[in-house]
Amino acid sequence: MQENKFKEIELASADVPAAQHSEAAVRDEPEAKVDPVFGIHIGSLGFLVSTAKYCEVLDKIQVNPLPNIHPWVSGILNLRGNLVPVFDLRMLLEEGAGDNKKRRLFAVDRDDKALALWIDSFPEIKDRATLQALKELPSLPQLLQRFIIGAYEHQGQIWLDVKFEDLFKTLGRHQYETEEMAI
Amino acid sequence: MKNIFQITPRNGVDDFVAVIEELADQSAQAGYYGLQDANLVLAEAIRELQLDEGFQSDADLSALVAAWGQLIEKFSDAPDQTAKAMISYLRHPCLKIPMADDEFNMLEQQLFSDANAAVDANESLGELETNAADKASDLSEQCLINEQIIIIEQLADQTAYEGLYGLQDANLLLAEALREMVNEGPANVDADFIKALSGWAGLIGSYREEPKRGAEAIINLLRHPVLKISMGDDEFAMLREQLATEVSVNEFAQEVSGSDDPAELETFAVHHGNPKDGEHTGSVSRVAQELVDLLLLEAEQVRFYLQGISIGDNESMLNGLQDAGEELERFANMAKTVGFEGLAQVSTHIILNIQRFIEDIDDFTSERYDLLLEWISQVQEYLPSFHESNAGQLIVAGLTDEQWALSMSFEELAAILLQIRTESTEVGNQTETARVETATDEDISLALPDDVNHELLDLLLQELPVHTRQFSEAVQRMQSGGSEQDVEVAQRAAHTLKGSANTVGIKGIAVLTHHLEDILIACASEQKLPGRGLANSLINASDCLESMSEALLSSGSSPHDAKAVLQEILDWANRIDKEGIPDSEVDENLAETQISSGNTTEAVEKLAPEQSQATFVRVAAEQVETLFRISGESIILNSQAHESIRRMKKQMQTMQIQFALLQQLGAELEQLIDLKDLTGRSFGAVGTGFDALEMDQYNELHTASRRMAEAAIDAKEISQDVGKELDKMYEVLDDQQRLVINVQEVVMQTRLVSIATIAPRLQRSLRQTCRMTEKQSELVLVGENILIDGDTLNAMVDPLMHILRNAVDHGIESTDERLAQGKLSSGRISFEFDREGNNILVRCRDDGRGLDYGAIRAAAEKRGLLKPDEDMSEEELRRFILRPNFSSRTVSTQTSGRGVGLDAVRAQIVNMGGTLTLDSVQGQGMTIELRVPLPLSMTYALLTHVGRYRVAIANKGIAQIVYSAAGEVVIEGDKEFLLLDGVTYPATRLMDLLHVPDHRKSQRTYGAILLVQNDDKTTAVLIDAINDSMDVVIKSMGHYIGKIPGYIGATILGDGTVTPVLDIPELLRVPIRAVKGVYAEPIDMDEPDSMLPTALVVDDSLSQRRALEQLLSDAGYRVRTARDGIEAAEILVQFQPDVILTDLEMPRMNGIELAAHIRTQEKIRSLPVIMITSRTTQKHRQMAEEAGVNAYFSKPVRDEDLLVKMQILMELAAEKKGKRLIG
Repeated sequence: MQENKFKEIELASADVPAAQHSEAAVRDEPEAKVDPVFGIHIGSLGFLVSTAKYCEVLDKIQVNPLPNIHPWVSGILNLRGNLVPVFDLRMLLEEGAGDNKKRRLFAVDRDDKALALWIDSFPEIKDRATLQALKELPSLPQLLQRFIIGAYEHQGQIWLDVKFEDLFKTLGRHQYETEEMAI
Repeated sequence: MKNIFQITPRNGVDDFVAVIEELADQSAQAGYYGLQDANLVLAEAIRELQLDEGFQSDADLSALVAAWGQLIEKFSDAPDQTAKAMISYLRHPCLKIPMADDEFNMLEQQLFSDANAAVDANESLGELETNAADKASDLSEQCLINEQIIIIEQLADQTAYEGLYGLQDANLLLAEALREMVNEGPANVDADFIKALSGWAGLIGSYREEPKRGAEAIINLLRHPVLKISMGDDEFAMLREQLATEVSVNEFAQEVSGSDDPAELETFAVHHGNPKDGEHTGSVSRVAQELVDLLLLEAEQVRFYLQGISIGDNESMLNGLQDAGEELERFANMAKTVGFEGLAQVSTHIILNIQRFIEDIDDFTSERYDLLLEWISQVQEYLPSFHESNAGQLIVAGLTDEQWALSMSFEELAAILLQIRTESTEVGNQTETARVETATDEDISLALPDDVNHELLDLLLQELPVHTRQFSEAVQRMQSGGSEQDVEVAQRAAHTLKGSANTVGIKGIAVLTHHLEDILIACASEQKLPGRGLANSLINASDCLESMSEALLSSGSSPHDAKAVLQEILDWANRIDKEGIPDSEVDENLAETQISSGNTTEAVEKLAPEQSQATFVRVAAEQVETLFRISGESIILNSQAHESIRRMKKQMQTMQIQFALLQQLGAELEQLIDLKDLTGRSFGAVGTGFDALEMDQYNELHTASRRMAEAAIDAKEISQDVGKELDKMYEVLDDQQRLVINVQEVVMQTRLVSIATIAPRLQRSLRQTCRMTEKQSELVLVGENILIDGDTLNAMVDPLMHILRNAVDHGIESTDERLAQGKLSSGRISFEFDREGNNILVRCRDDGRGLDYGAIRAAAEKRGLLKPDEDMSEEELRRFILRPNFSSRTVSTQTSGRGVGLDAVRAQIVNMGGTLTLDSVQGQGMTIELRVPLPLSMTYALLTHVGRYRVAIANKGIAQIVYSAAGEVVIEGDKEFLLLDGVTYPATRLMDLLHVPDHRKSQRTYGAILLVQNDDKTTAVLIDAINDSMDVVIKSMGHYIGKIPGYIGATILGDGTVTPVLDIPELLRVPIRAVKGVYAEPIDMDEPDSMLPTALVVDDSLSQRRALEQLLSDAGYRVRTARDGIEAAEILVQFQPDVILTDLEMPRMNGIELAAHIRTQEKIRSLPVIMITSRTTQKHRQMAEEAGVNAYFSKPVRDEDLLVKMQILMELAAEKKGKRLIG
């Protein structure tokens, strides 16, 4: 799914007639450059995911919950034989659990580097060039704040660009407290 | 100018000075003030020389002045080089110019600027040059002849001593003729003849070896028309006859022993041994050079002791002389051992003198002190140029001074000088004979040593093809033309290969590359490319190296022609040792070599012993991982198929019941139709005239019902067949499952290594630590043959090393202490490895002093962790030492106390999912137990539910499964216990272990109870029910999910669902709760080893790099590596190590350049740089020192020496840094 969209975007930019390119160059106007990026909605926030990553929306796939782990790890799913952790950023944003029947799963990357996120609607393709950078970050949980590279605004929606790998590695790291021996 | 040369030699000095001063004036007029200065300095020096008593020969002076004239002549052609040459000329010790280094440098600068000015004013320089050249050339011819006359006359005297009167006559004739010629004026001097004359001494030399041929040559020269010797043919023939018959071999000893005059002895030394005579000059072999370097080091040490003496202070004089004497004794022994007999004799004489000085210390004057210093300087000057035939004269001449307490007779001196002369050629030659002549089977053996380090071997195998290719490419370029650069590349490749092969211990490659390197070094030093023959041999050798490299990777036996190739290379090396690199045309010897080597090949093929070694295939680790993953997938798919068949069989059973029912119904229907004839009446009676009993009447209903009954039977039978097929299929799947599991196990085994592979590292680390702490200890490994996962073993090396160093440093007592306590003098440390379920258990014991609970308590109190009067058990105190940065020692030691204590070891073990426990008895030793889980690929698991979660429980640690009815769970207080067969077990619920809330309202009942063995106790774990049990494949939970305590991983079940696989013993050991509501700590927290000192290792050889890396990380360093200076410089931008270890020769940027670069960088300029190289000469050492290298090690390096030096340098650097900060 993602691959198709990605191709479409590429085509769209490639389809611009050569003549237009040259005219633009002659007129010395800034070239209309499309910088596509996936936009996903999680709770009130939007997150940007690079289109260079392999992404897919998963339908009707069972998420297997795990006991005694962080609330933002919903469980693990079996994606064509690979175990993929499922993260629920709403739990991190403290916006309460969403209705999983209405939500979808968005898988990023593949093989053992794959992870899945609960998203509230289908991903959109955004053009980064059209997004307006925010000067100040909205108030966010401290942990998330550490991994924000940039924040944008478009038509009232806030879009966050995050250090993807670092964020999820931190979220996946198991923090626990040791108790006294039970026995 | 003529008159200058006609002046008698006695007054000659003034005239030489006049000529030079005239040159100075002309230089000044032309504006070349540098040149003027240089001339004036020289003139002054020559004047001084005249006053010097020791200076006697004008011939020397004339040679000097002639050379100066030539230099001035060259000045305009190559001003830069000539300026340098002029300065080094002026620096010549025999001129004794009293100028400091910086003054010389200034003069050089001035000469440079003269040269630059010359570009603008070419004319005047040209004029000056013409004058200078005229004068110098006249002067030089005249000088040469004068010089020769003196030499020849001396030769005449000398030969008379030897009784070689014919030769004396020849010399006298020649001298007389030359004098005549000089008197006639320079116009009559034939320049070509002068050149020929300079070979006279050589001619006499060869005459001594081959009288007949030499006599002919001597006569020919005497008959030269220029000489105008008025002798008839018959007179010449007589002389030739006389020359040819008088032969003697003991000429030199005789001649010197007959002399009484020390000055004459010296004169002999000067003239007879003049390098110009071409007799003894030649380069020094490398081995000889190394020996010289060693001696130089010793000599420096002697000088060091001497310099420490302060005259007047008797104690300092006594000590200094004593030390110097002892050191000199070592020097003498060493000199004797390596073949400098003469030098050894002189040294012994000096030692005797020193002893006299000591006996009579009041007479040890500053003159005598200077004498000693001067003598050692002479030795230091002599050694680097010992191969030059006049080299030893100063040492011997120095002994004639009256200040010596013991003098030496002239005979003794002469004998020693003779000895030194002989050495000048012998020391070099020894190394040539050291090269073997014949290749042996052992020399080509590729057999791996028994104690081969597999890691290094792996590296060699990786490096080998690369360097071999480089070598063969360079050699091929050489063959088709090529350049000196190719020689260098090939030499470097050979050098690297030699080093690596030696490190691993593969003799075949080491020997071959050793000789190859020598040949290539010879090519480089003679600046000759190998000729066709040699290039062919080199190509053969490179092919052989390639085959050897392939052989090592596959079958392990030497290529069949290896011995022949090695022989060929040996022949070349031996020939080059003797004759130097042949010119490319000379190939005839090679043909022979090839023929003979052809024969050897056959012989080798027959004789070569069968070497069988296991075949190895090198596969990328990633590929093995993929294979492993795929085999895991197959198992999962197989179990899914199994699951499916199980369901099908169940359905088949249901179907069979249905078919049976159908059959039964059919039978019933048939019966009804038959017996009750429900339809017969309506059909049967129609017009047949028979009663129903008289004849059976059948209709469609009968037929249909019968067919139905038959169909039901058929269906049943078919279903039975299908059932059988399913059974078969089940069996096939079973077989397949076994196979796939086997595949996985085999793949898994590729990752298994024996624990013994780390034994050498542990033993080495123990030896090092023992040496550094000066303790005695042995390490015993038990169970080291167990195979475990390589990654796990690697991860365990660090903690084990640390425990080992800790044990020696803190645990084992000193020998005296041990003996006093009635223990054996040597400490004993044992590492016992054992498998415990899926864990590897390591018990590290030592019989040292054990934990000092008092010290721990004191340290804890000091840190405020404990109140002075607080009660604390030993077990609680033990926990303190596992706290971060807790150390009971006040001073950290070099060996283990680098701020990393047991806490770091524990952190590493816990990171691996393992545990660490301590036990210690004061005075008897300490035991540390490590338990590290091994990666599991499959396990047998029980499936159960915990609340809403489905989990698989690995059978790890499960001793027994009992059904709840079998025992009774009793509650005492808030704890539950299981009573079973009269034994009480502590009980816990899996739900509680996993912190799953219990939402059920009714009283819980437990379907099953697991008795789980954990450490040394058994716990009952209560679960709801066991739903299923099966083999499951354990998979990791991906890149993002870290280790979850109590989880081994997760598995995919037959229905595609994923469940976690639990490790109950681990859950029981550390009951843990995921922190809720609190965010995870940032991932970039400090690693436990961030306190370790850091080192950067720079070496272009992978194996050397890795060997150093291993050594340093075993010694407790964090190590980064770079392949050459450029890469190191790049790393240094980001990373500042505490110390740098670098090789000398590397591509792109070598070690010297790197050191120089570091010294220019503000941030890292004080970084200690240690150079480790195979280069041993003083020259390299000095170059390194000048570039700012702090320590220079020649291979092989003793590990401890290196580590100690590193520590010292790091401490110095830290001190400096501290001072700078304070400043």
